[in-house]
Amino acid sequence: MSGNNLVLPIVLWGRTAPTHCISSLLVMDDFTTIITGCHDGQICLWDMTPELQICPRAMLFGHTASITCLSKASASSDKQYIVSASESGEMCLWDVNDGRCIEFTKLACAHTGIQFYLFTIGTQKEGRLLCNGHYPEILVVDATSLEVLYSLVSKISPDWISSMSIIRSHRTQEDTVVAVSVTGILKVWMITAEVSKMQDLDPIFEEESKPIYCQGCQSISFCSFTQSSLLVVCSKYWRVVFDAGDYSLLCSVPSDSDQSWTGGEFISADKVIIWTEDGCSYIYKLPASCQSASEHFRSDVGRTKEGSIPPLIYSIAERSDKQLLICPPVTRFFFGRREPFHKLLIQGDSAGRLSLWSVPDATPPQPTTTPTELQMSSTISLQEAFDKLTPVSSGIIDQLSVLPNKQLPIKVTASVYIPSQGRLVCGREDGSIVLVPATQTAIVQLLQGEHMLRRGWPPHRTLRGHRNKVTCVLYPYQVSPRYDQRSLVSGGVDFSVIVWDIFTGEMKHIFCVHGGEISQLIVPPENCSTRVQHCVCSVASDHSVGLLSLRERKCIMLASRHLFPIQVIKWRPADDYLVVGCSDGSVYVWQMDTGALDRCVMGITAVEILNACDELAPATVDALSHSAVNLKQAMTRRSLAALKNMAQHKLQTLATNLLAADNADKGNLPKYSHNALVVQAMKTNLTDPDMHVLFFDVEALIIQLLTEEAQRPNPTLVSPETLQKSQAGADKGGSFLANKIFKQVKETMKETIKEHLLDEKSKSLSLLEYNLTMDTAKLFMSCLHAWGLNEQLDGICLERLGMLRPHCPISFGLISRGGHMSLMLPTFKESLLRQLSLATGLKLALSDIVGKGTYGVSRAVTTQHLLSAISLANTLMGMTNATFVGEHMKKAPARPGGTPESPRRTPAAPPQPSNPALQAQIKQGEDLTSCHH
Amino acid sequence: MLHPQRSLSELPKMSAASQVERAVLEEEFNWLLKEEVHAVLKQLQEILKEASRRFSMPTPGLESQQKQENFILGSSTMDQVKGVLTLQGEALTQADINLKVAKSSQVLHFQFREDKQWKLQQIQDARNHVNQALLLLSSRDDTYQFKTGAEVNKLMDAVMLQLTRARNRLTTPASLTLPELATSGLMKMFTPPMPGDVMVNFYINLSKLCLTVYQLHVLPPNTTKNFKPTGSSVLHNPGAMFELNNNRFEVSHVHKVECVVPWLSDTLVFFTISLQLCQQLKDKISVFSSFWNYRPF
Repeated sequence: MSGNNLVLPIVLWGRTAPTHCISSLLVMDDFTTIITGCHDGQICLWDMTPELQICPRAMLFGHTASITCLSKASASSDKQYIVSASESGEMCLWDVNDGRCIEFTKLACAHTGIQFYLFTIGTQKEGRLLCNGHYPEILVVDATSLEVLYSLVSKISPDWISSMSIIRSHRTQEDTVVAVSVTGILKVWMITAEVSKMQDLDPIFEEESKPIYCQGCQSISFCSFTQSSLLVVCSKYWRVVFDAGDYSLLCSVPSDSDQSWTGGEFISADKVIIWTEDGCSYIYKLPASCQSASEHFRSDVGRTKEGSIPPLIYSIAERSDKQLLICPPVTRFFFGRREPFHKLLIQGDSAGRLSLWSVPDATPPQPTTTPTELQMSSTISLQEAFDKLTPVSSGIIDQLSVLPNKQLPIKVTASVYIPSQGRLVCGREDGSIVLVPATQTAIVQLLQGEHMLRRGWPPHRTLRGHRNKVTCVLYPYQVSPRYDQRSLVSGGVDFSVIVWDIFTGEMKHIFCVHGGEISQLIVPPENCSTRVQHCVCSVASDHSVGLLSLRERKCIMLASRHLFPIQVIKWRPADDYLVVGCSDGSVYVWQMDTGALDRCVMGITAVEILNACDELAPATVDALSHSAVNLKQAMTRRSLAALKNMAQHKLQTLATNLLAADNADKGNLPKYSHNALVVQAMKTNLTDPDMHVLFFDVEALIIQLLTEEAQRPNPTLVSPETLQKSQAGADKGGSFLANKIFKQVKETMKETIKEHLLDEKSKSLSLLEYNLTMDTAKLFMSCLHAWGLNEQLDGICLERLGMLRPHCPISFGLISRGGHMSLMLPTFKESLLRQLSLATGLKLALSDIVGKGTYGVSRAVTTQHLLSAISLANTLMGMTNATFVGEHMKKAPARPGGTPESPRRTPAAPPQPSNPALQAQIKQGEDLTSCHH
Repeated sequence: MLHPQRSLSELPKMSAASQVERAVLEEEFNWLLKEEVHAVLKQLQEILKEASRRFSMPTPGLESQQKQENFILGSSTMDQVKGVLTLQGEALTQADINLKVAKSSQVLHFQFREDKQWKLQQIQDARNHVNQALLLLSSRDDTYQFKTGAEVNKLMDAVMLQLTRARNRLTTPASLTLPELATSGLMKMFTPPMPGDVMVNFYINLSKLCLTVYQLHVLPPNTTKNFKPTGSSVLHNPGAMFELNNNRFEVSHVHKVECVVPWLSDTLVFFTISLQLCQQLKDKISVFSSFWNYRPF
């Protein structure tokens, strides 16, 4: 995953946009990007044009809990960084341009607000993040390393800070932090240049602490126009307070009885905008006593009339279709300090919708009693953006899921990829389960070709048995070879768990032991008792856990009556204990053999028990609540699987050596796992259908290609020279391919050959014979190729190499540190199209930018893609059968006119013309890279 | 997710019996949204208000008017340590600690300096979390009409998050390393100053106010004993070692005394009841979820 392993994700989003219940908002300083964080932990990047048209571009994954706040984290315009914080205390630094995660950290407490501040130390400028949250200090964090440098502490009645504002004063050269605590005490800290030099962790105490008697303060903001007043918004009233020195009250306005204010901002020296919890906003003109330019300024101090409400100029009503919202929307105001000086009110709601209002500077001409209604400038939701797409954003098995008289395809609700067979198992909302070759179905969805004409392609098998939505599928053999290779287990909302024979499609057994929807299926760890080893563990929404024996075909234990939903299952195999962690923090310890409840604990003991399980067996960690949502865990699990594979691999070598001496036991050898492609299903929310990410491991793909090449029956080709040659080619392309590949290739090759000799028969188990590696390579190369740059080259690629042109620009992704990932939304092409049209001055069609998609996006992505394309092309060049045409034809017996070419071509013919072509492509690629840098 | 508005005409394939069943379910679900949810929310609010009252929010300027409570910390089995602590709201305002040193049978006596008090962050955090939960609940009063089950679930999730945090703050005290404890401000609070070989810690565990006293001895620099610094823990055991200012220490004796704070045990009960109420409401909603999500194929 990490390190120098080059893994490229390609996403198939499907037609349903991911749930994006917006919890926080940010607009970048240049007003070209809006960033939204959601309750499920994803961050969405939206492109905005100067005409205020918005289009979602990418989604960032990595947080495990709701995003609490977003802030910019760099001052310069050439690198645009943002920082995000989540409910669980995580902090993440992202590059806005390509969605790379630059740094991440986790603290014990959650931040609720972050402000960026640029410290000046002589000529050097350093970024700092001031954070407040569920703790009584303000933490000062370095904006590049995310390390806590020091904290601002209160001496007098310290309490949580509910809101803060940084005041940069031009009058005095001192910058101050003004904050209001939850108990309503206003506090002031000085942050001067001296402070920033201080490297020790001494806390800074406040300069001033003054009760302002406001409970439930929602936000405070400083007027940057006059630099003298402060707006304090509480749920039941808002106030303007004079800043310089005494913080005297200038004006106070109560809210209507049924509304509560949630925030506000100065929009000019004499106007404020205030918004409510249900999404209405109001613009008020401040009375003369609040304007420092006026002669009446401060004339009312000390005798504020509570009832006098300043004139309301504009109002912005809530949306009429508000009933669809499930939680209050988020409203923010931003104003541009550069051309075109936008003053924007932005609202994000639970339906993933962004609405923009451009706030005018002028007041409406005639003063009327009723405020003018401000018209919305633009609005779009994620789903609307998806709906507008042509062609529609495809899901992994859409072609098999479209019903004759229905608009939408049947949604995939659970899926698992079986790498050893290259097949994807998709459980759907109608209760059926589809087994389909993963690469072939991906080719159908992504690439144009003759397969588009065939109905029911690719060949698949449908299992029917569940009466409604399938919620989880598990292929136990993939986790541990102790299980039967044929068993597939699925759980549904019909409370049942079904065991299938994957090869015959037969339903073997139905377990009906739970009283709720099945939410998760897990494999127990290796060292459990033999009886438990042949079980799968099922978790249901009635808060029960079952151990279902696949061998005995009965439930051997049912642990129910947990009061709260089950969050985590852990194991203590040595003591025969099953440890159930519930969402309220309680822990239940069950004896697996007897089914007796050993203990039920809370607090420290519960935490200690859970931690003790981790220490015993770190590999069995398996958090449940959001397993589908939580990408980080998925990634860890994936890499764990990879690790296991590696271990298995070594074992296999051992076993092979043993077998060479005594080849009695044939069936025990699993085939070398196919890791060049991994299909991972993901959901951002439990109620969403699955979307699928194809992870291409370039290194593994090259190893496999070389291995298969070496395996070909032609003896002259297995000579080390050929390998060396292709290896040299690969080395030229990417320096990341070290010598170890060569070694690995040799190793795998030896193994596979041996294996081949040993179990020739085991291969014929799959549905259809096809070359998985070549298919993967074909899919990958077709996606990576820069279509449309050189027509001649495109022609060669299509005809000679058998590559296929994509339907539309492909949504790639970028994996960065610690399992953080950015995935392009299918809508990215809209804004790309606009951008390119603008640059070239031509009206471009979608088909024109098919290949340019990736190259316009970001430097990091482009570099990765070129590296992979070059190394892969080089590998293929070195191969005898360096075209996908032959492979493709083999499977097309129904093709009109028949196939003149023999399935196995003469090795020399096709590669010759393709070599220069590929070289040309590489050259172009290199040209492009140099252009980009 | 749960849209009660879906009309029956959308489901022509249904048999008459199941149509009747659906109609009944629909009515029941509407009752749940209109009546039952508000009843539960009201009950929750009452319980949490009761819990919040126990914490007695300080009003600025009037801190001194908060009630003072004295707690005598001791144990029946050992009498080496005895403490009398005064709790005012979330802060310990006075402390008297008597420590009988085993070797010399001499009794050491410490108390808080006049100008110092020690804030128990756990209590403040719990109080703030409860108030946040109350704020969430108060935004949805009787007049508010819930339209979907998802909306109720979202609210319950938010409330439960605050309540779980509030309870966890009381049930899981911060675990500290010994050097962290030694350098914390707590050691400088006492008069006479605490000797270098004694450390104290105050925390809340469940409903109990706990005092831990560690007696240390310095390990000679060229000791043959394996030095292994211990990690962070709520309660360190005798034998735990740490390094501070180039000196190595080992914990020789640990004394833990505690006393139940009655109002804290009340709040814990309130938290548990309200969490269960929230979960029960969510479970009730989820009964209908499979029904509303059902699509005939």
